[in-house]
Amino acid sequence: MGMFEGLRSRLQKIQGRLEENIETASAGTGPVSLPPGAAPTDKSPGMMDRVKVLVTDREFFISGDDISDPLFELEMVLLESDVALPVTEEIISLVRQNLTGQRRKIGESVDEIVVSALHDALIQVLGDGFDLPAYIRGHDRPVKILFTGVNGTGKTTTVAKIASFLKKNGFSVVIGAGDTFRAGAIEQIDEHARRLGIKIIQHQHGADPSAVLFDAVQYASAHNVDVVLADTAGRFHNRANLMNQLDKIRRVMKPDLIVYVDEAVAGNDAVVRAHEFEKSVGADAVILTKADMDSRGGAAISIAHTIGKPLMFLGVGQGYDDIIPFEPATVIGELLGGSIDDA
Amino acid sequence: MLDRLGTSLKDALKKLAGKTVVDRAAVDELVKDLQRALIQADVNVKLVMALSQAIKTRSLEEEPPKGMSVREHVLRIVYQELVRLMGPTGEVKLGPQVILMAGLQGSGKTTTTAKIARYFQRKGLRVAVICGDTFRPGAYEQLSTLCSRIHVPCFGDPTDKDARKMVREGLKVHTGTEVVIIDTQGRHALEADLIQEIIDINTLSNATHRWLVIDAALGQQASEQARRFHEAIDIDGVIITKMDGTAKGGGALSAVAETKSGIVFIGSGETIEDLERFDPDGFISRLLGMGDLRALVERAEESISEGEIDVNAMMRGKFTLRDMYKQLEAVNRMGPLKQIMSMLPMGNLELPGEAYDMTSAKMAKYRIIMDSMTAAELDEPSLLSSSRVQRIAIGAGATPDEVRELLKYYKTMKRALKGVRGGQGKFNMQRMMKRFGGM
Repeated sequence: MGMFEGLRSRLQKIQGRLEENIETASAGTGPVSLPPGAAPTDKSPGMMDRVKVLVTDREFFISGDDISDPLFELEMVLLESDVALPVTEEIISLVRQNLTGQRRKIGESVDEIVVSALHDALIQVLGDGFDLPAYIRGHDRPVKILFTGVNGTGKTTTVAKIASFLKKNGFSVVIGAGDTFRAGAIEQIDEHARRLGIKIIQHQHGADPSAVLFDAVQYASAHNVDVVLADTAGRFHNRANLMNQLDKIRRVMKPDLIVYVDEAVAGNDAVVRAHEFEKSVGADAVILTKADMDSRGGAAISIAHTIGKPLMFLGVGQGYDDIIPFEPATVIGELLGGSIDDA
Repeated sequence: MLDRLGTSLKDALKKLAGKTVVDRAAVDELVKDLQRALIQADVNVKLVMALSQAIKTRSLEEEPPKGMSVREHVLRIVYQELVRLMGPTGEVKLGPQVILMAGLQGSGKTTTTAKIARYFQRKGLRVAVICGDTFRPGAYEQLSTLCSRIHVPCFGDPTDKDARKMVREGLKVHTGTEVVIIDTQGRHALEADLIQEIIDINTLSNATHRWLVIDAALGQQASEQARRFHEAIDIDGVIITKMDGTAKGGGALSAVAETKSGIVFIGSGETIEDLERFDPDGFISRLLGMGDLRALVERAEESISEGEIDVNAMMRGKFTLRDMYKQLEAVNRMGPLKQIMSMLPMGNLELPGEAYDMTSAKMAKYRIIMDSMTAAELDEPSLLSSSRVQRIAIGAGATPDEVRELLKYYKTMKRALKGVRGGQGKFNMQRMMKRFGGM
């Protein structure tokens, strides 16, 4: 997965720094707790002292100071990888919480402690994936999927890619050309459908998108089509009338799934708009496009964390097959494990 | 969230007020808030760190000029450094030229191409466009539809896949046209073939300008992408699109820094007229989520002329419908109410967000209703009996309920301003919040 490579190599550097600092700190705590020169000359130390030595030798506390420098670096890495500021702050505080006050146990390497702290924090923000074919198999047909998002994130291209993906998985598909606003949008989706050999329902430019999508659903029901993919016009979350239009679409076509589409290269605004879309029309899953542009993928972390909804696919190119299901566990494993060389 | 940022920045600035020597802690706090604001606006993290270091050093080392308070001195440094970060405003000449549009997929090149065509057309130049996007389905239809609405000739062929040929032929067809704009396919820096394609198009078109279109929401990736585009075709201007959303456009600043160019235009809406020339002050205020910084620097009191809003009368509690009318007019001219309010010397007053949440449609309606009032009514709203309300409603083509709604809004504003004057602390503010909440 190219998308997270950059973040990965840099995370691993930080990991090393964290470990180093903890090692140094622990080297300072161990035997030093015995007053220098006390042990050999004096009588054998008392029972309590011996216990103390045993404990401090093998366990130690990690204090906030030991890791504040590497944590600052981690913060910078996350920010530079487009993880939004509030999300970054939360990850940092999770890692700090997981690390500080923790005792290092006998036989446990620093490496393990650091990796598990980072791992837990990331798992917490990335959540689970979403298996679309399994979802479709488990639900009544037609399964209606509504695509939403701001302008230019790649909704139309994504609809075409998903149509192709589902067709390959043996499902029948109909597309509803719900972007009746942007010039050329209907021509665009129509051409995709033609190339893919998929039925498309369309009205004229400027028509009511709810009506188009309603017709698409009607068509699917009448012809026993498995999936309806409903494209919509891009809209900004701060435009009340356009969000109301989307709400009307939702009421009319009653989608089973609302998929929010955004781009992997988006910065801090990703959080703001994901939250607004989730709030006004809801979102069941997220698709991130243009993941091939970026090797860092912070937006994935930001959005997943903000709306707490699974990431379903990553769009990774301009071809119909350039879409891959997202598996958080694999991604995190890749982020933290392995060497940088085989990235 | 973002509003809170602006507030904390203001608080940090306030802490500097009244101090005679620059207080290191106060500067540190200010710089930290500034960092947060800029990072949240997607400005490149390294740029932000360099900028904040410069502000810190200058604030602590430079002596404030005579007669300038510490706060004004630091503010001025912050402002100067931010302006430097903006780069110069990109140049737009009104003469014969070929403009090549470049940018990532979905950044809004096609829409912007049509908007720029409209811009030059309105300046009285003969304009034509070439559709160099031979990849995306519907690209030619989109551009030609937009162009036909403004009667600008558009050259292209949706069945031909050779972008270089399209541009070559398009330039031939459009010889004699003053401004030719070439729209291109979206591409990113890692797509070597496509980068080569735009290099070729640039060479064969001998473009006067190569403008990079950047989505306001683009994050840290902006630097890298801009650098690669710059290496390929020597970008000499940046256009920020989708500024009508909530994104702050900090990525565009990273692009400006990488290309050592300036911002030319800002796209802020879906209609063909929604294109503005770049205004650094407005942009800074958006980046920081606070009012116009320059106005603050030049002392807010002086920057708003007496005729527009009589701040003092408002503070005395005399706030008439006429004042509100002026206010709405000012809002139309100067941008959101929020920004105007944040420029007013009202100390730490924060009006609740609902007070600003008036749609532009409603604002227009309010103005029409007030246009139907007599001068006496505007000055003395208590005259408005139900028969007068009835008359106004008929005159304005509104319902009496709408007139009453306006009066309710007026009363809320008036009460809010009274609250400011009375300054009865938290309790008063809370009561006010409740009232606004009930609207």
